[in-house]
Amino acid sequence: MIPELGYGATVAALVLALWGAIAAAVSARTGRAALLRSGERAAVGAWVLITACIALMLYAFLTFDFSVRYVAINTNRGTPFYYRITALWGALEGSIVLWSWMLSIYTLIVVVQYRRRQPELYPWVLAVMLGILAFFLLVMTIPAPPFERLTPIPADGRGLNPLLQDSGMITHPVALYLGFTGFTVPFAFAMAALIVGRTGEEWITITRRWTIIAWYFLALGLLIGGWWSYHVLGWGGYWAWDPVENAAFMPWLTATAFLHSVMIQERRRMLKLWNLSLIILTFGLTIFGTFLTRSGIIGSVHSFTQGSIGIFFLGFLALVLLGSFSLLASRVEHLRAEGALDSVVSRESTFLLNNLFLVAATFTVFFGTVFPLLSEAARGVKVSVGAPFFNLVNIPVFLALLFLMGVGPLIAWRRASAESLKRNFLKPVLAGLVAAAALRAVGVGNGLVLATMALVVFVAGTIALDLFRAVRARRRTGDGWGDATWGLLLRQNRRYGGFIVHLGILVVALGVAGSQAWSVQTEVTLDKGKSVELAGYHVRFDGLSASEESNHAKVTGAFTITNGRAGSDVLYPAKKFYPQDQNPIAAVDYRLGFFEDVYLVLGDFATDGSHATVKLQVNRMVSWLWLGGLVLTLGAALAILPEARRTA
Amino acid sequence: MRASRLGWAIPAAVVPVLMLLAYGFKTDPHEIPSPLLGRPATAFSLTTFAGAPVSLEGLRGKVVMLNFWASWCVPACYDEAPALERTWREYKDKGVVVVGVDIQDKEEAARKFLAEFGHSFPNAPDPAGRVAVSYGVYGVPETFFIDRKGRVRFKKVGPLSDEFARQHLDALLKEPS
Amino acid sequence: MSRRGKFVAGGLVIVAAIAYLIWSGVSQSVVYFVTPSELLAAPVPSKTYRLGGLVQPGSLKWQPKSLDLSFTLSDGKASVPVKHKGTPPDLFTEGRGAVVEGSWTKEGYFKASLILAKHSEEYKAPHDGAQPGYKELLKSLRGDGTR
Repeated sequence: MIPELGYGATVAALVLALWGAIAAAVSARTGRAALLRSGERAAVGAWVLITACIALMLYAFLTFDFSVRYVAINTNRGTPFYYRITALWGALEGSIVLWSWMLSIYTLIVVVQYRRRQPELYPWVLAVMLGILAFFLLVMTIPAPPFERLTPIPADGRGLNPLLQDSGMITHPVALYLGFTGFTVPFAFAMAALIVGRTGEEWITITRRWTIIAWYFLALGLLIGGWWSYHVLGWGGYWAWDPVENAAFMPWLTATAFLHSVMIQERRRMLKLWNLSLIILTFGLTIFGTFLTRSGIIGSVHSFTQGSIGIFFLGFLALVLLGSFSLLASRVEHLRAEGALDSVVSRESTFLLNNLFLVAATFTVFFGTVFPLLSEAARGVKVSVGAPFFNLVNIPVFLALLFLMGVGPLIAWRRASAESLKRNFLKPVLAGLVAAAALRAVGVGNGLVLATMALVVFVAGTIALDLFRAVRARRRTGDGWGDATWGLLLRQNRRYGGFIVHLGILVVALGVAGSQAWSVQTEVTLDKGKSVELAGYHVRFDGLSASEESNHAKVTGAFTITNGRAGSDVLYPAKKFYPQDQNPIAAVDYRLGFFEDVYLVLGDFATDGSHATVKLQVNRMVSWLWLGGLVLTLGAALAILPEARRTA
Repeated sequence: MRASRLGWAIPAAVVPVLMLLAYGFKTDPHEIPSPLLGRPATAFSLTTFAGAPVSLEGLRGKVVMLNFWASWCVPACYDEAPALERTWREYKDKGVVVVGVDIQDKEEAARKFLAEFGHSFPNAPDPAGRVAVSYGVYGVPETFFIDRKGRVRFKKVGPLSDEFARQHLDALLKEPS
Repeated sequence: MSRRGKFVAGGLVIVAAIAYLIWSGVSQSVVYFVTPSELLAAPVPSKTYRLGGLVQPGSLKWQPKSLDLSFTLSDGKASVPVKHKGTPPDLFTEGRGAVVEGSWTKEGYFKASLILAKHSEEYKAPHDGAQPGYKELLKSLRGDGTR
């Protein structure tokens, strides 16, 4: 029953989306309002049907309906209740359903928001969005249908991949997809603007909030992914430059560039071609990322492979890139800059440099990711490109970007005089140098940490200086410090929201530098009762115990951790045995701290409990990454607040 | 105009990238071979679900496609089951025998599996799992292609497709007995 | 030089610097995939390789006290002895495929710094009933009395 109903709903949604796209496009060309109304109704219908698909799938999961192949593969009778719900997006087919659903919701929001406000652009925006939705529904219909029937019906399903049975995996895909799909809206507006010929700043202003929100969710998704990698995979790291990670990182880099360069277009009416190219590239990279992780062309620890789905995505990617860039090329005359760069020392120039570095980083990541393919195609030699490559090129680039983060918001537009440079930057630069020297003096020798610290203090200094001056100016109207600050933040929420986001990035940067420089680890086999020491922590092996959960068995080691300062604690790293996998999966245990985390992974053990091999890590500053994410959230929230009222 | 030439350069630049990505479909992951390849297949002697005996000795001189499966092996064994039956029907008169070995399964579930797929080739349970162990079977499904002289020549880990079966059976049938 | 020229020149310098970084980065950190036969045909000591093969049944030796792991990787034609310090990853055992990263030593073995075990999505391992040692493991540990 369910497979047939679900499949039917999918096909119906596809037909509606296609019809809606065509109707909206024709109405845009001919001005026939009835067609536009029909297209809108089709959008609503598609959303209803996709929601029905989700409801059907959830019902199948909750009732152990193993006649649905997707349910049989991804759950079994022992899978806990909440994982049966999140298994919906745990594998390939379901993830496409989630993507389609988000896209259909965004389309509805666009319908409600813009049907009256943007009569000229709106029909084309609707057409483009429904067209993209139609593609994803097509993928749900042909290469990756979630509603396939499995005959005969097995008595029990296979089960959810144990690595996905984790809180990080519940939220990570959702955040990431909210980011990916969010970029569809600015892209659609860019296409509409090109088609209609309204290539001014309008499409940028309209979609500003969409861009920030999508950018934020992508950043959040990346950080949650890092958190998942850190606390589940057992290697103590949060980023491996894995192709799947890179696939999500690239659109984030170009989106960051885009976020900044549109400010130049808004103020100086320059970089029109550049901005349109950037949003096309960003949207293209979201499709590319999906293609990379699903086509199997690049081997990765966590890619899913399927037969023909790669071809669909490559075809769509080709259509999107060639189509939109050709449209862009045909409208190039409309994209003349109305302003020009006056000086190298200016805000425009700083933002341009920011873009240059971000795009260079994107290219580097892309190059490193596809290099194995390139090498095989060109020389027939199979190679892999590891972390050292990405770090070697990207670290200098990111440090340069940190520096620009401090310069950009304060440096004058058009041409910055020597005097304004001194006034804005002398103190922060000095502060940065002093901070680095102070660190050096207390014995920190790591170059990366020193450079990062100097830059972080420099940027923080510029933010503090700007905030101080602005609040002081505001106080002249009679407010107290608190009121003045609060009022300023709300009134210029875009600017200060951005500053807080920058602060978040600074916190993350410190976390990355510290964790790379100062984390230590050791691996040792301990007899029962014996202990090992690392970085001031004593770890004693107390024994093993066994237990049975609903869908796995667990062997847990008890380890007492003592640290002179912090007293003692017991950690329980475990090995989980899932029936569907021959080998056990390690369950890491850890204690998180502001400056350092203690991290234990149980390796081999003797079945009589006489000894156990354990990997012990003391990871420094990793919590700063998650804290930075929190700060980012606050900044993004402030930045998207609706414009303050006219009154002071 | 300089600007429009620059404009068209962009879509033009996208094309080689797309071609490189398309090339990626041709690359194959490394197939890791089994240590059994080229060695004589271990003898076995089982009783099918229908009650008839089946042994490797008795199949000497024929090409044997030995498939290990289970009813709880979702979805892979379900995916390849129709292909196994089709291959059997196509090749049974050409000197090929398809033999299925059901491992670590409940009899009732196994019979239901066989009935649903309408398998007409011999299928036998492997009660103590001895045959699976002797073939180094790590999971299901796994399929071994044994030549007329009784040597293991190919091993397929994961679900089998009609083409794969056809390709390897044809190769083995060409060899002299 | 015109203002425009200065910008372009400056931009080109940056692009050149990054291109140089990419080029040297790739030459330094590209790692070649080899099979045991390919490696033994022309082993270069201290060069980093990724070696892929089957872990030969019977060759796996693990010393918990010293954390010494040794095994042989084979491709059916040639075998390479491999040594590694530390517990193997969870998906690693005899009779299965694995890829190791490391370098060839003058003493005649491959020193692996990293072990990556292959994991197939569609394949399913034997069920709980027959999982070797799994149930006994639970029984023996429960008997331990630590819980």
